[in-house]
This record gives sequence, structure tokens and C-alpha cells, in this order.
Amino acid sequence: MAKKTYDLLFKLLLIGDSGVGKTCVLFRFSDDAFNTTFISTIGIDFKIKTVELQGKKIKLQIWDTAGQERFHTITTSYYRGAMGIMLVYDITNAKSFENISKWLRNIDEHANEDVERMLLGNKCDMEDKRVVPKAKGEQIAREHGIRFFETSAKANINIEKAFLTLAEDILRKTPVKEPNSENVDISSGGGVTGWKSKCCS
Amino acid sequence: MNFENVINFIFIFYLVIAVTVKPCYVREEASPALAFEKDAFQLTVEDVYDISYVIGRDLLKISSTGEEVSDLQFRIVRVLEMFETLVNKYNLSLEELKMERDNLKSELDRIIKESSTGQGTQTAGPNQLVVDLKDPNRPRFTMQELKEVLQERNQLKAQLMVAQEELQLYKSGILPQAEPAMVEVDLEPPPSADHIPATTDEVKEEKTAISKLFSFRRKRE
Repeated sequence: MAKKTYDLLFKLLLIGDSGVGKTCVLFRFSDDAFNTTFISTIGIDFKIKTVELQGKKIKLQIWDTAGQERFHTITTSYYRGAMGIMLVYDITNAKSFENISKWLRNIDEHANEDVERMLLGNKCDMEDKRVVPKAKGEQIAREHGIRFFETSAKANINIEKAFLTLAEDILRKTPVKEPNSENVDISSGGGVTGWKSKCCS
Repeated sequence: MNFENVINFIFIFYLVIAVTVKPCYVREEASPALAFEKDAFQLTVEDVYDISYVIGRDLLKISSTGEEVSDLQFRIVRVLEMFETLVNKYNLSLEELKMERDNLKSELDRIIKESSTGQGTQTAGPNQLVVDLKDPNRPRFTMQELKEVLQERNQLKAQLMVAQEELQLYKSGILPQAEPAMVEVDLEPPPSADHIPATTDEVKEEKTAISKLFSFRRKRE
């Protein structure tokens, strides 16, 4: 077996109504590309992207779920292993925003208790078709104590920032395995980065 | 002959009765005696009346010869009444059954027509799905089967990624090339997602395990 090419493996999960752009958000992050044709995800898929945070190579395994109800039993079985969950809605689709509480309930039921959650209002490039004000997204995120970004996979707005922020939040909670001299620097650096990201969000 | 006389008498008697009492028989040009030849299940109440008429006529004939037949007469009348009731009832029931059959037939035709034109969505319950067995894209596999296929797909995808990563490392010389066989593998271009099979020339040049695998793959494709 080859030597590990990364220091940490984080498992992330994308959830939300069908058609809000979960796959596009992931595709933008992993391949820096965008495709307008809508192909509904069948059940569950994943992509890998390795990022470097605070001097650590972090391999992100990002699970992309089907939003359609008919795949519910398949997708919920992947909640348990997730360390971070991105709940995506579409700012041009009121129903997808209304369903946030339903998705949050799914997280409560199926995911680990200490999972990092994040709310994304996608398609923010389509200002003319917006039906969910940014303030409403911010409000619901505040109520549940989770981070919030408005994103656009198409216009590449806040995509990388969202993933890196979520990874940083998980990294901050990750216990240091091998205590050595380096770890002091890393943990202190993590603290500063965490504060910065909170400040910026 | 006495017998001939009797026949003639009956004939004349019948004609007289038919013309005066029952003119309808003349119109139908049928002898009431024909009712005796009919199939029991074909009998109508009219036939019973014909039979009564014929029997009554015969009784009249006997009594005219001076025999005492009044008891027999009453019994025959009683039997004929019962006969009338039975035939009547039978015909009414038969008519009812026929009507019911016709109603059901038209109902069946209507349902068949509806289901063929309207794809039968109205016949499904609230939580049921109508599956067209002729549709090649109809649902056929269970959620469990899909789950297993997706799991296997994702496992293979992960293994491919690991293999690609390792290959990249060997190629860039980061990892030591432990076995001589690995040198041959290195000769192949790293299989990326959009460049899996090597070109024909490359495969011919390098007689490695990988090249054999690739040529095998091409044959199967």
C-alpha cells in the first residue's frame, strides 16, 4: 500500500431539495466547472478534493445526495458517517427554503450529534428571480446556530469559501492524534483561522 | 271410422274455438297443440295457455261421451296453474339475468375503454403506482438493489482514485520502485478520467501486463 498522501480525511455531505444545485456546487468546487444541463443525481455519489489547511493536507470526501424523496432511504444512511453537512436551498425556489426545517430534522435524526452544519442559499447570481431574501437565510441560520453563505456555482461565488470554512470548523474540533512540537503551532494557528473565518462569514 | 270422425270433430271444434274465442291463433297461424312439442325451457305463458286450451278441449270431449272426469279436471287445472306460475317465474328470472348480463357487459366495455385511453391512472389507489409492463423504462429494481449497486460503484470509484494517486506518485518518482515489474507499468501513461485506454501504437510497442489488459479491454468494447 502506498504512503498516505494526506494527513486527515473529512467526510462531508450535501443535502437539500432536488434541483437546488448540490451537484453543481460540488462540481464547481472539485473540478472548477459548471454545467447547465440538469441531471438528477441517482441516490448517492461522491467526489474527492484535497485541500491544504494550516499546513495539513486534508482530503475531503464529499458525498452528494439525491434530493428526490424516492431516494430518502439510501441518502439518510450516509448521514451517520458525515463530519460536516451542507444544507443547500435555492434562493429562487421558496419551497426549497421552506423545507430547510425538514432537512434539519433529518440531520437530527440520522447524523452524528456533533456534526458541523452549514446553510447555503445557492443560485445567488439569479437576482431577478430571487424569492428568498438574504436576511431570511441569515435569520434561520442564526436561529439554528449554523453558518450561512449565499453561493453561486454558476458564477463561482463563495463556493470554495464555504467548503474551506466547513473544513476549518471540523479541523478545529479534530483532536490532535500524535502530540509533537509542531502541534502547538498548528492548534494555535487553527484558532486564529477559525476566528477569522467567523469574522468574515 | 270412428277415429276419423273424432279427428274431424276436434279439427272443427278447434277451428270454431280459435275463430270465436282466441282469434290470435289465427293471426299467428300456429296450432296450440305445437306447444306440446316445444322445449320445456322455451315455453312461454302463452304456450301454457295453449296447452290448457288443448287439454280443456280434450276433457270436454271425454265428458261429452258421458264419463265422470270432474275430479281429474280440477287436478289438471291445478297442475296447469302451477305450470303457469313456474313458467312465468322462470321467464321473468331469465329476463332479469339477461338484463344484468347486458349491464355488466357494457360496464366492462366502458372500463376497458377507459383504461386503454386514460393509461388507467384512475384505477390506482392513492399510494399505488400503475406500471406499464410494455414500457422499457418501467421501474424494475428494488431500493435495496439500487443501494447495493451504488455502494459498489462508489467503492470502485474510490479504489480507482487510490490507484490513480499511487500511479501518479510512482510516475513522479516520489515512491521507490520496489519491483522490476513496476518499471513496465511506469511506461504506460497514467490513466486519467478522460484518458483510460492507451492508443494502439503504444500498446503494440510495450508488451507489458497493462498493455495486454488494455488490448483485452478494447476487444471487449
